[in-house]
Amino acid sequence: MSDCRSEHSTAGELIIQNITKNFAGLRALDSVSLTLKRGEILGLIGPNGSGKTTLINVITGLLPLDGGRVLIGDVEITNKPPYEIARAGLGRTFQTIRLFRELTVMENVEVAAVSMGCSRKEAKRRALIAIEEMGLEDWVGRLASELPYGLERKVEIARAFAMQPSFLLLDEPAAGLNEEESDQLLDMLAPIPERKGLGLLIVDHDMRLIMRLCHRLHVLSYGKTIGEGTPDEVRRIPQVIEAYLGKTAVRG
Amino acid sequence: MKNTNAGILWLKSHTTPFILSIPLLILAVLVQAYGDTLLVRIVTVLFINLVMVLSLQVFMGNSGILNFAHIGFMGIGAYTSVLFSMTPQAKAATLPDLYPFLRPIHLPFLPSLLIGAIAAALVAALVGYALMRLSDAAAVITLFALLVIIHTILVHWSIVTNGPRTLFGVDNYTSLGISTFFGILVIFIAYLFKETPVGLKLRASRDDRYAAASIGVNIVQVRWAGFVLSAFLAGFGGGLWAHFITSFSPYAFYLTETFSVLSMLVIGGTGSVSGAVLGTVVVTLLREGLRAVENSVNIAGVFPNNLVGFTEVVLSLLLILILVFRPSGLLGSQEIRLANTIPLASGKFSASELSRESSPKEGEHV
Repeated sequence: MSDCRSEHSTAGELIIQNITKNFAGLRALDSVSLTLKRGEILGLIGPNGSGKTTLINVITGLLPLDGGRVLIGDVEITNKPPYEIARAGLGRTFQTIRLFRELTVMENVEVAAVSMGCSRKEAKRRALIAIEEMGLEDWVGRLASELPYGLERKVEIARAFAMQPSFLLLDEPAAGLNEEESDQLLDMLAPIPERKGLGLLIVDHDMRLIMRLCHRLHVLSYGKTIGEGTPDEVRRIPQVIEAYLGKTAVRG
Repeated sequence: MKNTNAGILWLKSHTTPFILSIPLLILAVLVQAYGDTLLVRIVTVLFINLVMVLSLQVFMGNSGILNFAHIGFMGIGAYTSVLFSMTPQAKAATLPDLYPFLRPIHLPFLPSLLIGAIAAALVAALVGYALMRLSDAAAVITLFALLVIIHTILVHWSIVTNGPRTLFGVDNYTSLGISTFFGILVIFIAYLFKETPVGLKLRASRDDRYAAASIGVNIVQVRWAGFVLSAFLAGFGGGLWAHFITSFSPYAFYLTETFSVLSMLVIGGTGSVSGAVLGTVVVTLLREGLRAVENSVNIAGVFPNNLVGFTEVVLSLLLILILVFRPSGLLGSQEIRLANTIPLASGKFSASELSRESSPKEGEHV
């Protein structure tokens, strides 16, 4: 039935140790450490320019890192090429949506399973599951370039699901969505990590979404960790309130 | 039972190569039966052009990298195949300094073609892996440099190419039937390649290479595979052309031919096999028509001087107009197919209906 069962299905935690990244003298990430367990949803928040996207980019190999290590279980993936990191079980989405515009929705999702070593047939089966999970059944034959914005996000997430990753990093999945769409996204995402044994890391500015969805939060400011813990713990940390949340979030 | 059903379903969703081949096959049969020598020659060239344009599409259309080196591989295929197919006497006449071990070799046509194609693929495989790391302008410039390098080698390696002079004495093996066979074969190969795992990954990397890498696509590897297949088919095209034209020099495999093949692909539409086929047919027929007009105008003496380059100017204008008004070509990236036979295109089928097609469990009930 499945000719490409993910080899990384027993992988341990995603471990990020003391990651440092400089951009021409600017320290974008300063010794950031975090751990993502499978089945948990971790929110990565912080003001604009605090290094959230940079962190995702160095973990996934898109940018070389200047110090620190990244491991999945005991497998070192530090500075490996992006495709090897993906095959080790780490998926991601992009802040600015990156779909394969001249491929159909089906092919967009299917290719993720194909690149994990599935045959076209098995890839189709996996893709259909991911497409149903994101509610995209009516769009399978359309070109990605014909989709409305809100659906593009869903296709990107479905594509990442089709990889069957152990860990998934979502970079602002709710950006540009209205409240209703954001609620929909919340309902779709919430049950998935536990069901799939997937570790989910979400970067977003939509605090309603983050506070309701995430089990734990990690807060960055100017490339440094300024707080971590459960949503309730984090919104009481004075530095976090000052740097990012503001007074209103404390009451909400 | 299950397998035949799956086969029929597969055929129904992949009608494109049949739709493209059947009219061409009919054309070839009609021309063979009723056409004069000139028409037979034109249609033979049409199918050789088809091999060249489709082989270019295999790499360029799926990877998105403009490939100027393509005609170089045609040249390698042409020269290599004739070295194996020519009689020892013909070789002695046209290539007096040929390496002794090559002199007595005399193979039939098809093995010679195959060796030419393999030679082109080997060269592509050797230089390709490094080249495929490049993208965008850097890749285009480097591939252009590769064309210049191949050309320079062909011009100067007199022992096997007769240098810049014409090599003659090649037997005319490429009949209309042979070129039709290979033209249609390559339509199927180019179409099926798009649907292979490598072809799908390559198309994904064309649309967004960062996203492709993030889902596990080894971009250098899939580009390399496409590049080698493309060169292999171009080598076939070169061998076919060499055994049609029977005498040629290295200048046949340079800028004029590069421009010609590129314009056919770009006018038709780089992204699809259908576009490549349409572009080849339109440009080949247009060119022959324009040439006939040019000749009759010259013979009738309409202008005081002979009209020179009329055909090229009109084709260049056509290319410019296409690039301005339809940058993705006449057909763009979509294949021609029978509209109601592809379940995935309508978007109206539910996922459960789709999975019935693809899941093995359901198939057993059929």
